[in-house]
Amino acid sequence: MTTTATAAPAIRTHGLRRSFGDILAVADLDLEVGEGAVFGLLGPDGAGKSTLIRMLATVLRPDAGGASVFGHSVTTEASQVTPRIGYMSQRFSMYPDLSVAENMDFFATIRGVSKADRRTRAASLLEGMGLAEFTKRQAQHLSGGMKQKLMLATTLMHEPDLLLLDEPTTGVDPVSRREFWRILAGLHRAGKTVLVATPYMDEAERCTHIAFLDSGRIKQFGTPDEIKAQVPGRLVEVSATQPRAALAAVKAVPGVESAHLLGDVVRVLWSGSAEPEQALGAALAAAGVDGAGTREVAPDMETVFAYLADPSTGSGSVGGGSGSVGGGSGSVAGGSGSVAGGSGSVAGGSGGVAP
Amino acid sequence: MRQALIRVGAIVRKEFRHLGRDPRMLLAVVITPVIQLLLFAYAISFDVDHVPTLVIDFDNSPASQRYLQQYEASPFFDVVAHGTSLADVDTAFDGNTARVAIIIPSGFSRTLASDAAAQVSVLVDGSEPNAAKISQAYSVALNQLYGQQLTREWADAQGLDLSSFGLLEPRIRTWYNPERRSSDFLIPGLMVVILAIVTVQQTAVTLVRERDLGTQEQLEVSPMRRIELMVGKLLPWTLIAFLDVALITGLGRTLFDVPLRGDFWALTVGAALFVFASLGMGLLISAIAPSLDTANIMAMLIAFLPAFLLSGFAFALDQIPVFLQWISYAFPARYMVSISRGVFLKGAGFAEIWPELISLVAYALVMLVISSVLYGRRSSR
Repeated sequence: MTTTATAAPAIRTHGLRRSFGDILAVADLDLEVGEGAVFGLLGPDGAGKSTLIRMLATVLRPDAGGASVFGHSVTTEASQVTPRIGYMSQRFSMYPDLSVAENMDFFATIRGVSKADRRTRAASLLEGMGLAEFTKRQAQHLSGGMKQKLMLATTLMHEPDLLLLDEPTTGVDPVSRREFWRILAGLHRAGKTVLVATPYMDEAERCTHIAFLDSGRIKQFGTPDEIKAQVPGRLVEVSATQPRAALAAVKAVPGVESAHLLGDVVRVLWSGSAEPEQALGAALAAAGVDGAGTREVAPDMETVFAYLADPSTGSGSVGGGSGSVGGGSGSVAGGSGSVAGGSGSVAGGSGGVAP
Repeated sequence: MRQALIRVGAIVRKEFRHLGRDPRMLLAVVITPVIQLLLFAYAISFDVDHVPTLVIDFDNSPASQRYLQQYEASPFFDVVAHGTSLADVDTAFDGNTARVAIIIPSGFSRTLASDAAAQVSVLVDGSEPNAAKISQAYSVALNQLYGQQLTREWADAQGLDLSSFGLLEPRIRTWYNPERRSSDFLIPGLMVVILAIVTVQQTAVTLVRERDLGTQEQLEVSPMRRIELMVGKLLPWTLIAFLDVALITGLGRTLFDVPLRGDFWALTVGAALFVFASLGMGLLISAIAPSLDTANIMAMLIAFLPAFLLSGFAFALDQIPVFLQWISYAFPARYMVSISRGVFLKGAGFAEIWPELISLVAYALVMLVISSVLYGRRSSR
């Protein structure tokens, strides 16, 4: 690898745009993903995640702007991009009537992997993913989780440096999802760059960096900690035998930014200066709510995004349409030292990103 | 280059795996041709003989009876009933008990005796045009024969030696297929129909299927070039098409004694060109069809129907309306049917079939160019 290639980020897009008919799927997107990142692309269905990934994978042409992978343009230098990427599309795209081993061998062969390498790599990948005993099974007879693992294994056969994974865990059971992320963590340790789209907020925590995409634009961008830091105050859970009464009791307490029911607990976002347990406990006792308990919890991504997306509580911090992250596992420090956006920083009301 | 061959080989191997694991497809490309061959050759025969015939003799004279004996003796007509009135013709035709009615008017023998031309009515049920046409031709032939016989008898009676007069005696012979067996005629044409179905339909479907499965995208992110994918996809179907040619030729020769009179290599070259033209058609369909179902229907429309109806296989091309004749030039089947029949039945070689071969070359080139342009446009989005 040349020095220039090393210097180039794994992914860089500028003004990337693609529409389908009247629908703008990806809108003038600027993005930079450093080598070695596990970059989570979050967002609801139709946010433009697949469109972005397919453009990066060279299978879809951008309408405007450009994108490069390891310094090579995805439009004009696609033949230099494809050997270094592994692309896993959202839908299962293996031959259903071919066996696990046959699928892996076929795609590796057309990718130019030598026969000897195909044999050793397939053996170790199948072993590592727990598919070893299913090598002869036809792909159509695999479970959902196994299908995804087969796709990932196939994608890894030519040892790509960048993995573009489009919702690899959608529709997969929780155990298989955890298993899948365990494999991704291993790839991350091995130095691979991973761009993974997911609709699951909980998966965002496993990423080194995340971007929240909506209507083709990046709404939030940073490390999971940075994103969480945008939520002002602390998160407190109030459990009570009558959660609705508890919700009514705490809602008006000064220092409560927001309160809502989550199952049978009340989640309170606390920005008061006092300790939330005491203030809330007093209010609950005054309202005569029985058996109430309060405890502070670490904010999860789902809460964070719900908060940031809510216009009534959102601090208007929804950052710029662009961002860049440096490499490394979990460290945000890029060359520029900040998560800088074109139209604004990701820093929210809490006073800025603290890498 | 070596890498390219390895990739093409991988595609070919994969295609044969698909084929081996899909009993329906295997059925469609190997068993169906055999069934079609047997069906067409045994069941759907265009041979016409033993036509049920009704005779009505209003004259009832020795002369009229002698005339009718000709029909009785012919293997072509089966005299199934003797009627007494014209109404019997309606009854017999309506009830499908007879297809031809011979009516001898009263005064037949008297007219003959006065050396004038006697009239005989031959009514033919036209609801089955092929049989009707042939029945008509046969009865005309019988009348001529009878006429000659009468002439000869008259000459004998007059003590004349006819041989010195050099009277013309028509002798009708059917060339190339003297027994007019429809299997001889059908099997070389059927080969073309089957080739068209296997190649056009399967090529179209196999490429659309890649898109349907989503595997197309995975192929696109590989270093494989489009031409490699095409070759890898088309090679198995070319092989299978030739297997079908061999199968049909073999069965035709052994089971149905279809002669192979001409140059085998001319037939092979013709078949190869026809296969390329058909593969081009298949590619064209796969480039424009949005789904598997559409691809199937389009293949049916542009491969099967023209090969069946506008190739000369089922209907002689000079018998169909002129505008359909023009359309027939737009499909490769007509050239191949004429090559196939030429080689099988007429003993043709390269010297006779070169115009058709050139047509097929041109056709194949145009198809492959158009489809690869369309394919390129489609995949670059």
